[in-house]
Amino acid sequence: MTSSETDLQFILSQIHARARDPGFMHEVANTVRGEGVLSCIQCGRCAGSCPVGRLTVKYNPRRLVEMVNLGFKWEALFELSWLCLSCFTCIDRCPQGADVGEVVFALRSIAARDGNIPKGALAMAKSLVETGRIVNPTTSVTKQRASLGLPPCETVPEVAKIARKTGFSKILGLQ
Amino acid sequence: MDENVKYALYLGCLIPARELSYELATRKVMPALGVGLVDMEGTSCCGPFAIQSLDYTGWLALAARNLCIAEKMSLDIMALCNDCYESLMMVNQTLKREEETRDRVNEILSVAHKKFKGTVNVKHTMDVLCDDVGLDKIRSKVTNPLNGLRVATQVGCHLVRPKMLHAGVGRGFEVLDDLVEALGAEAVDYDDKEICCGGPLRDIDDQLSRSLSNRKLAALKRANVDCVVTACPFCYIQFDLGQLEIKSLLREEYDIPVLHFVELLSFAMGMKPEGPQLREHRVSIDRIVRKLT
Amino acid sequence: MMNKSALVIGGGIAGIQASLDLANRGVKTYLVEKSPSIGGRMAQLDKTFPTMDCSICILAPKMIECFRHRNIDLLTYSEVKEVQGSAGDFTVKVVKKPRYVQADKCVGCGTCADHCPVEVPNEFDSGMGVRKAIYLPFPQAVPRVYTVDKDHCLDCGLCKSVCTAKAVDLEQEPAELELHVGGIVVATGFDVYEPLRITSYGYGKYKNVITSLQLERMLSASGPSGGRIMRPSDGRIPRTVAFLQCVGSRDQRFGYPYCSSICCKYAVKDAVLIREHRPDSEVYIFYIDLRVFGKGFQEFANRAKKEFGVKFIRSSPGEIREDPETRDLTLWYEDTLTRTVKSLKVDLVVLSTALMPRSDSAELAKILGIDTDRFGFLIPPDSVGHPVDTQIAGIVGCGYCLGPRTGDIPDSVMQASAAAARLSEILMSGSL
Repeated sequence: MTSSETDLQFILSQIHARARDPGFMHEVANTVRGEGVLSCIQCGRCAGSCPVGRLTVKYNPRRLVEMVNLGFKWEALFELSWLCLSCFTCIDRCPQGADVGEVVFALRSIAARDGNIPKGALAMAKSLVETGRIVNPTTSVTKQRASLGLPPCETVPEVAKIARKTGFSKILGLQ
Repeated sequence: MDENVKYALYLGCLIPARELSYELATRKVMPALGVGLVDMEGTSCCGPFAIQSLDYTGWLALAARNLCIAEKMSLDIMALCNDCYESLMMVNQTLKREEETRDRVNEILSVAHKKFKGTVNVKHTMDVLCDDVGLDKIRSKVTNPLNGLRVATQVGCHLVRPKMLHAGVGRGFEVLDDLVEALGAEAVDYDDKEICCGGPLRDIDDQLSRSLSNRKLAALKRANVDCVVTACPFCYIQFDLGQLEIKSLLREEYDIPVLHFVELLSFAMGMKPEGPQLREHRVSIDRIVRKLT
Repeated sequence: MMNKSALVIGGGIAGIQASLDLANRGVKTYLVEKSPSIGGRMAQLDKTFPTMDCSICILAPKMIECFRHRNIDLLTYSEVKEVQGSAGDFTVKVVKKPRYVQADKCVGCGTCADHCPVEVPNEFDSGMGVRKAIYLPFPQAVPRVYTVDKDHCLDCGLCKSVCTAKAVDLEQEPAELELHVGGIVVATGFDVYEPLRITSYGYGKYKNVITSLQLERMLSASGPSGGRIMRPSDGRIPRTVAFLQCVGSRDQRFGYPYCSSICCKYAVKDAVLIREHRPDSEVYIFYIDLRVFGKGFQEFANRAKKEFGVKFIRSSPGEIREDPETRDLTLWYEDTLTRTVKSLKVDLVVLSTALMPRSDSAELAKILGIDTDRFGFLIPPDSVGHPVDTQIAGIVGCGYCLGPRTGDIPDSVMQASAAAARLSEILMSGSL
């Protein structure tokens, strides 16, 4: 298949109804940072600005909001929202305040609630809860810091306490 | 050196673990410009964008915890990383503005024996350089002007977007250009300058992440620059380590040195780079160092 | 005491129509216009939609009629400074700004302008053309009296020395008039939004990104380029042109949240004109919704597509980039109907920007004692039952200053007649 045929296949697969949820739009609108979905007029200015959208058909911010408003919950939650860079260019340009870059956070939190988190993000989050940082220095770097007189990077147990209290740990499957 | 102003230094996670060159340069340069840096004790991750998505309240509490540490020190925060800066700044603004949210977060923070009061502000190194130090002072401290050096700047998304959030600061994409020119170098324009480096997609979709940095590096090559400077450690990784990855996976070689802005500033102020600093650069900066010393 | 006379503020088509209607009923009418000539926006247009009639051809006879009507006193280059009183008995202070040319002596020959050494941008041409410091804003200006722009005048006296009618008087003083009228019509019209805040479109930075009013001036046969559309950067006639709709309209963030009502219509008209001017051209209209409501307009848009080959793309572009050497423009957009992200290179970009009330409409409202909304539009207290009324009995409004409505010329004319009729109720019956 030519690349445009696979692209078309991909696009069609996105709009093939798996399980339409007509209430999904309101679920997202009522989730914090998701309020913007109700304001979208599908003008496409975000899609014309998105750097990811320029490189691949896999992600398109206007289409993301369209999916949400039409109730294609599965596609919106699991396939599209994690490709957003959070570069906020769309937010800078949206004339109606739909702000797809913010809606993405709401979608991801709904996905995370159901246990769907990409491996890379999950690893960062687990490290955060367990040590207080998303990434820690290796032993050689730790030694280097000490030899240069730089303060050490210590584990922060308070973070785990907070994560347990807010339910963050539970979302990550920790306890 | 007299200290005109002091800040609580917020390092974040990435810099102390992987980019000591940024930390070392900052610790050398800022005191020499009259900015005192005080280490914060017990800080944790700020809650970057990948984390914010997973638990909104959790993010607020994590970031607020760090703000509380600065409040106890009665010092404003200076963050080195764009993501740290924007995360802490957004939480600071939200909690200052929304009483109910603040109460909710303080209730959570009680397990850490902390309480957010809203008494400090969050700034980025570039803010401190432009506002507290000022371009004139920086110019006066340059003993090694970078004349003839063609420098491209990568400001990074989270220092300037969304514009509404940064409206009070009045900073735009030209901020790094102005700073570079204060060092005597030439700030060179290039295609796609304002587009994201692709950093946030690392470990989520490496191919896409690489495509974006590749696009930017190709534009940098076309603009015939001597080097590119960054303000954010993620942009740095995308361009520096990114060039190695692109060389092996996409068979494209750019050989464009990548420096943290504060590093370039330190060279212009006559400070010699140390071994550990030089070794961290995966694309050698020897060419630049030789031009200057 | 019922004063059977009226004041009309604003000399555009709405103000002109209201004046004629009132005057024809025997009401003595003062038509006050801020700029040196009446005519307003309609005088700036080339053709009207959807019939593609010549705008000035329709307007000029009405302008002359105003000038000649025995019941109309034309007070151009004048402004209303104070209003006292109530319906039937308003006392109005009007300041006649000095033209430094005596209206009763000037014959409009233009010799003065030919000799004037100063050239400045012409406001009438929206920055696309120039005029002299002593000038007529456009060839069909009414009254045909030259005006000196003292801010740019060098006081060299050349105009005075070449004027055979001895009309130039560089020492002229402003004159204050006191008018007693029974009613007032507000017809101040609109300004065009300059989208400097929408930085991603590069207006003000990129030379070949212009507003629709600037294009109109180029299209106009009596305009600065004699009817030739030229790229500002190099004067070349553009082959590819893109119209961007809703720039600053329907915009909660960078402009005005309302729909300006006439932009889709005039974009279709302008696109057709460009295709007619240059048959090998490619013209694109980037729209979000094509709002061509009303009689004849959807048909006109359909013709634009089928007969004239105008390309319609449902998309609001994300950004415009400029090639620093050629000054050509590249649009990045998503075609929302085919769902593909693309870029398009064009020679010229025309922004259909928002239309808003004049910048001094709030100040005038204060003088009159009427309310305006946060944008400066008049607010009829009973917008359904008495849509031309204002808060003050005896003061009515018409035209775009009432709000976007449909905004096109026939509607402004209708509203003007409605305003005149409404005022006549008060003036004729002798009671409120």
